[in-house]
Formats: sequence, C-alpha cells, structure tokens
Amino acid sequence: MEPIIKIQNLKKSYKKRKAKEVIQAVKGISFSVNRGEILGLLGPNGAGKSTTIKMICGLVKPDAGTILIDGINNQDKRLKALNHISAVLEGNRNIYWRLTVRENLEYFAGNRGASRKEVAEEVASLLEKFRLKEKENELVNRLSRGMQQKLAIAVAMLANTDVILLDEPTLGLDVETSYEVRELLRSVASEYNRTIIISSHDMDVIQDICERTVIINNGQVVTDDKVENLLRLFEVRAYKIALGGLLTERQLLLLEQKFPHYTYIPDTFQSSLEVDLEKSEEIYDLFDILKLESTVVESIDRKSINFEQIFIKIVKGEAEHEMAQSS
Amino acid sequence: MKWLNLLKGNIRKEYIELKRYLPNTIAMLLTFYIIFLGMFAGIQIVGDPNTADANIQYVIVNYVFWFLAIIVVQDIGWQLQIEATQGTLEQLSMSPMGIWKIMLMRLISTVLVNFLIIIALLYLSMLTTGQWLNVDVVALAPIFILTIMSMIGLGFIIAGMSIVLKQVQAFLQILQFILAGLTFVPVSVAPVLAFLPIVKGVDLVRSVMIDGTSLLGIGFGDFMILVFNAIFYFVIGFIFFLYCERVAMKKGLLAHY
Repeated sequence: MEPIIKIQNLKKSYKKRKAKEVIQAVKGISFSVNRGEILGLLGPNGAGKSTTIKMICGLVKPDAGTILIDGINNQDKRLKALNHISAVLEGNRNIYWRLTVRENLEYFAGNRGASRKEVAEEVASLLEKFRLKEKENELVNRLSRGMQQKLAIAVAMLANTDVILLDEPTLGLDVETSYEVRELLRSVASEYNRTIIISSHDMDVIQDICERTVIINNGQVVTDDKVENLLRLFEVRAYKIALGGLLTERQLLLLEQKFPHYTYIPDTFQSSLEVDLEKSEEIYDLFDILKLESTVVESIDRKSINFEQIFIKIVKGEAEHEMAQSS
Repeated sequence: MKWLNLLKGNIRKEYIELKRYLPNTIAMLLTFYIIFLGMFAGIQIVGDPNTADANIQYVIVNYVFWFLAIIVVQDIGWQLQIEATQGTLEQLSMSPMGIWKIMLMRLISTVLVNFLIIIALLYLSMLTTGQWLNVDVVALAPIFILTIMSMIGLGFIIAGMSIVLKQVQAFLQILQFILAGLTFVPVSVAPVLAFLPIVKGVDLVRSVMIDGTSLLGIGFGDFMILVFNAIFYFVIGFIFFLYCERVAMKKGLLAHY
C-alpha cells in the first residue's frame, strides 16, 4: 500500500539567538506512515520531534529532505498538501476560548473555505460523537479541559483531512477523560479511515492505541517498529531470577562482562538478579555463570516490561534492535 | 465561493465578539467620544473664534479617520500577537486557504463590521458640535475604498511584523501616533506627504465633506495619486506579509508550542 506520508532525509537546523551556534535539530529523518494507521511519534525533549511535527504540518520549512503527503510535496505545493492534513498541536489552546463550541467548529470550517450550511450535518454528527451536543452553545472558557481537548480534536476532524496529527492529546486530562479520548481516536481511525499521528509522553496512551512507533532521539530515528513487536522483543529477554544466597566476585565479574546492564540486589537469604538478554540463547550463558558456584536458582520470572521502560531503554541507547519497517 | 465563505466566517466572528463583549465595545466608543469632546472643548476655549468652525470640521474628519485607521491597521497586529500567544495562529497557518487570505478577509471584516460604528460616531460628532458636514456618498465611496486599500496594505505590514517580531507590542503602541500623524497632517504642509499612505485619502475626504467638492470636482491628478497609493501600499504590504510568512516558516515562528 502506498504510504499517505513519506518523509525522506529531513534536516533542519536553527541558529541560536544572540549566539553564533547552530543547533541541528533534525539530522536526516526518514519514515513513512500508512493510510489508516495510528502511529506514535516519540522522543525525549529536545530530540527533534516537535520540529519534525511542525515540518509535517507545513509550519516549518526544512533545510533539506522531502515530505510527501498523499504524494504531494508539502514544500512545493504547501496549501494543496494542507488539504490532506490537520493538527492539534497545543490541545485546548488551539481553539478560541471566547467563542462557543459550535462557533469554533463553524469558524474553523469557514477558514478552510466551507460554509456553515455545508458543514451543518458534520458539525451535528461530531457534536454527538464527541458528546459535546449539550454544550454546543457554551463558551469554551467555561468548559472542562477534557471538553476543550475534545473540541480541539473535533475541529481537526471537521477539516476532513486524511491525516490528523495530535500532540499530547491526553495531557492534563483525568483518567476517565483520557480513556474517552483514546476511545474516540480509535473510532476516528477505524470508522472514518483517518491516519492519526500521535506524539505523547504518556506511554500508556501510545501502548494503548498506536500500532507502530517511530522513536526520535538526537535528531535521528532510532526505532521504527510495531508496538507489539517492541513489547514482545523486550519482554521475552528480560528475566528476574531469585537466588538462594549471594553471588561471588567471580560471578559478578562475568555478569558484568556478559550482561553489562544487569541489576543485582544481594541478600544472604534470597538475592535478586535482573538481566536483559539480547538473544534468547544467552539464557544458557547466564545459567553457566550461576552453575560455576552452584548457585541455587529458586525461581525465574519473565520480567513484565511496559512501553515506558522500552522507550527509556531505546532512548538511553541501552538496547538496540534492527529497525523493522512495518508494512 | 471559498473566498466568500472565508469572508462570511470572519465577519461573523468579528460581529459575535463585538456583541458578546459589548461593555468593551461601549468603553471603546466612550473613550473615543470623551477624547473628541476634549478636542472640541479645546477649540472652543483656546482656539481662534474666527476659525473655530473650520477647525472643528477638520477635527471631526481627521479624528473619525484616525479611529478607523487604528481599528484596521493596529488591531490586526494586536490580534496576531494574541493568536500567537493563545496558540490559534498555527491553526490559521495550517488552513489550505493560506494565512494571507485569512488576514485579508479579517481586515475587510473589521472594516465592514466597524463601518456602522464609524458612521454613528461621525453623526454623533456632528450632532455634538452642530457642524453638519457634506456626506456625498457618490464622492466619498471611491475615496473611502481606495484609502481603505492602502490601510489594508499597512495592516498587512503590521501583521507580517507581528508574526516575525515577538517584541512588537511597543511598536504597536507608537503606531497609533504615527497613524495620527498620517490622518491629521494636511497635504498643504508638504505636497510630498500625499504619497504617504492614508494622507491623500483623508485630504480628499476633507475636500468633499468640508469644502463640498463633488466627485467630478476632484482633480484627475489627485485621484491618480489616490489610486497609485492604494495599489502601491496594498501590493507592498502583501509582498511584505508573504516575505514575513516565509521568514517565520524558516525560523519556526508560526507554531509557538
């Protein structure tokens, strides 16, 4: 399937104010997004994620590289490309607080050249879907943060674009509203066949609704894989072992050489050892080390790992895996 | 049709905000009226009684035009500063219509929605002073439209500056005095002033409203200067705005998040 977004060798640098220093925010990023996919775009602060998002939205001009949105180069034909993409980059700040819910929807539709009549049906349907019908004539500044957030997403939906880009869609929301927004996003992607790109620091959200993630660090893509692949990959190789006694100096030295990121909590009665294996076969090496001093193994548990831990490992460079381009 | 929908949307927003925040609107009009009364009293008390009528008529035209210039030119700058801070600027920048079209429609909406207020202020000023000016719509309409064009050009310049320069607030404060200079200074002081934006338009409006000149009575040369100014400042403003938009895109200023 032809990707809806194709990004190739994207670069962007900024000059620091009042200094001659040039910061290379994005250093040759390439990835693509398939139609109807929910993609998580992740990265720590300062990784180049925001700059990449702005470039996809046509808000920042790249120094080099191309961004094709439904085959349209967003630098050569920016306005045409903008017909295919909408975004909520600042959540509830992306809407007018001095207008009502309905007025916001109609105003933003007007700014895309649509009349109130043309969007009347869609506005009504979105108000229902986003459970904003009762508040349609309420001023936005009187709404809860969750409702404001939902309205901002509804505004992006009303643009009727193939791609919707959301930055921190659940930031500052209570648990219940956060789940409601997640459900909405899932249904938006499936029912309306929209492609959604989500950038978030909430790994629960990413794990919960994204099919694939692209992790950016230091201006480069460090991982591009399906969420389930990453979870499987890391989960299968993380082990927690309960030992009947202490490990010797010799064993610790060997562990250090073989598994540099191991965690050992010594205890005379029951020590704990946590090891991440790069390959499944390495479990035999681990047992060889334990066997050396006849250390008693009381239990072995596959350590449960959540997406947040995977993200931290990838970003810190503690774990690497071949980037598998999902198809 | 898309242009019309864009214009309608912006007129509606302008109208809703004026109506919803009626106390603000009333306060703005009261401020205008009180300052006008101050000027009127000044002319009555310390002015030359022989030229008092002419001076009052002069002030009415200049002051109403100044008010209009502030609304059209300065307000767009404030609006953009607020939009950038609030986070709505990036939404406008992501419209496939193009931000310049949105800005143009906003400027036109501001003129249209505030036009009734301007007319009301004009008649209120005339009623207060007892000085009834010649409101020759046929003569005033083309002058008004052409002058508004140059004002919109200036509005584009201010809008462009507001996008690129974060610390433009201080300039926006000073701008009202620059606009006062452009509306109050007569062309007779130095003919070259006619080529500055607004100046010729206000001069011709004075000629129609105070001296009673008809449309046919306006000199061809004067009218051509007005046309030249309208096109020149509109085009310059438009090009400058597009340039600022490109600079903002290069520096990443369209999205402040």
